Amino acid sequence: MHNHSIFQHLRYLSPLLIPFFFFFAGGILLAVLQSIGIGLPFPYEGGVLDSYKELLTPYMLRSFLLSIKVGAFAALFSVALGTILAIGLWRMPALLQQAGVIYKIPLILPHLAVGFIVFFFWAKSGLISSAMFHAGITGSPQDFPSILFGSDGWGMIIAYTYKQIPFALLMSYASLKRLDMCLLETAYMLGATRWKAFCAVTYPHIRSVVHSTFCILFLFGFGAFEIPFLLGGSSPAMLSIEAYNLYFRKELYHRPQAMAILIGIFVFSVTFLTLYLRAVTPKRPEEMHD
Amino acid sequence: MTNIRLRHHALFLFFVLFFAGPTAILVISLFAPGWTWPNILPRQLSTKALMSVLQHSNSILLHLGVSVLYSLTTTFCTLILCLLPAYYFARARFTGQNIIQGILLTPALIPAMTFSMGIHHVFIRLSLADTFFGVVLILTIFSYPFMLRALISGFEAYSDQYELCAKNLGASLWMRLRYVTFPLLLPSIIAGGSVVFLVAFSDYYLVFLIGGGVVPSFTGYLFPFITGADRAMASALTLIFLVVPIVLFVLVELSVRRFYKRTGLY
Repeated sequence: MHNHSIFQHLRYLSPLLIPFFFFFAGGILLAVLQSIGIGLPFPYEGGVLDSYKELLTPYMLRSFLLSIKVGAFAALFSVALGTILAIGLWRMPALLQQAGVIYKIPLILPHLAVGFIVFFFWAKSGLISSAMFHAGITGSPQDFPSILFGSDGWGMIIAYTYKQIPFALLMSYASLKRLDMCLLETAYMLGATRWKAFCAVTYPHIRSVVHSTFCILFLFGFGAFEIPFLLGGSSPAMLSIEAYNLYFRKELYHRPQAMAILIGIFVFSVTFLTLYLRAVTPKRPEEMHD
Repeated sequence: MTNIRLRHHALFLFFVLFFAGPTAILVISLFAPGWTWPNILPRQLSTKALMSVLQHSNSILLHLGVSVLYSLTTTFCTLILCLLPAYYFARARFTGQNIIQGILLTPALIPAMTFSMGIHHVFIRLSLADTFFGVVLILTIFSYPFMLRALISGFEAYSDQYELCAKNLGASLWMRLRYVTFPLLLPSIIAGGSVVFLVAFSDYYLVFLIGGGVVPSFTGYLFPFITGADRAMASALTLIFLVVPIVLFVLVELSVRRFYKRTGLY
């Protein structure tokens, strides 16, 4: 395939470009319009940027910071644990490696189910609370710290971490499969410690996969709906829940604000992706003209 | 040497406990309706929840069936949409290629709420809201990047010389697709398709928003049970959730093996 014209690009890519522009870009555009008061199902009387101004409150800032905290901690824990487990799995004998596919179970479980499992274990009347009662640490369910439904988000972090570890494991493991074990053995023979060998051989190999996994998981935890809906607190709630409440649970005239939150999530996500990927991409001269 | 073996086995035990343990506890919980604080193990076992599932089997099957149907339709739609663009991305080289590819992958990275709620209003106007087709459409937009990524790697994994060779030997377009492209691409189709199916099947929010409760979905059916008091029933339904994709994946694996055997490829 040579001699590419813009029409040829369009011809081949149109099956995706058309739905992308109509529904994805269109959806974002409609949200922008509704956030500034255009195309709403009721007469709008406020100013163009009113809905954005109304969001500039300490409460919304706390909601924003909570979303970042939950997304970042969950992604960090999942990537770290997933990578460690992937290295462990990669070094196992072949038979155990094959049986190791059970790690995919939480990957198949939907978020709702993971939320339920976390609830089962970590609720005030859950299994861990029961175990602590028998160990004599707590006397009643009320003594168990409220990990779920709190405004510090740890219930959500636990749920996301459990759900996402298999994904991080899968990604790192697939990358490790392409790494020659002899390189590590050579490093050990040359006197490298475990940590040194990891830093000099393993990590550079899986680096880009680890970073893109972190990106995907962080943005998912930052903006997803199900887990916060099940396990999150309410003041402040995650941004997605705040948008949901403004859209569905309040008066119609709150809709521009709901849309403004969504645009905030969108702008933050795109900015994060661009800056993060630019920061971690190594600059190689031979790829400059790609 | 035994030390290393011991470590491998210890790690494997951790894998079993950590990844399969909680799900195994759901199986116990299924048979223990009255299992509450402070019992670490259930006091008595019963099949009450199982009976309850059987009693409601009609509505469970309905919700499950529709969920499977829209997930499979979504998988099929993403495949159709992504084939040609994936082929082009893998074979052609043009300026701005990486940027366009990156932009086309964003719907899976950006939280799905952002575009779906803006468009909800239009879906209502176009009478797409509360319909099966609307649900498939919104799920397709959200999940096609997984298929696109898998297909691009699939096309990149083999050289275009195969197709060229078949063409030189006089194979028609259909024959080339049927006997060259499809068998070589099948593993990627399955990899991408499994992810798309799982994403669509386990989604709650988009189906809730666009389906509006009119389109039955298993996630929508499950939700009140999860937040409710009957943990045994919630465990039972959660386990059903796990079983369906596994059965489906096994069926796909078996039929793929049969396909390869019949065509004598492997």
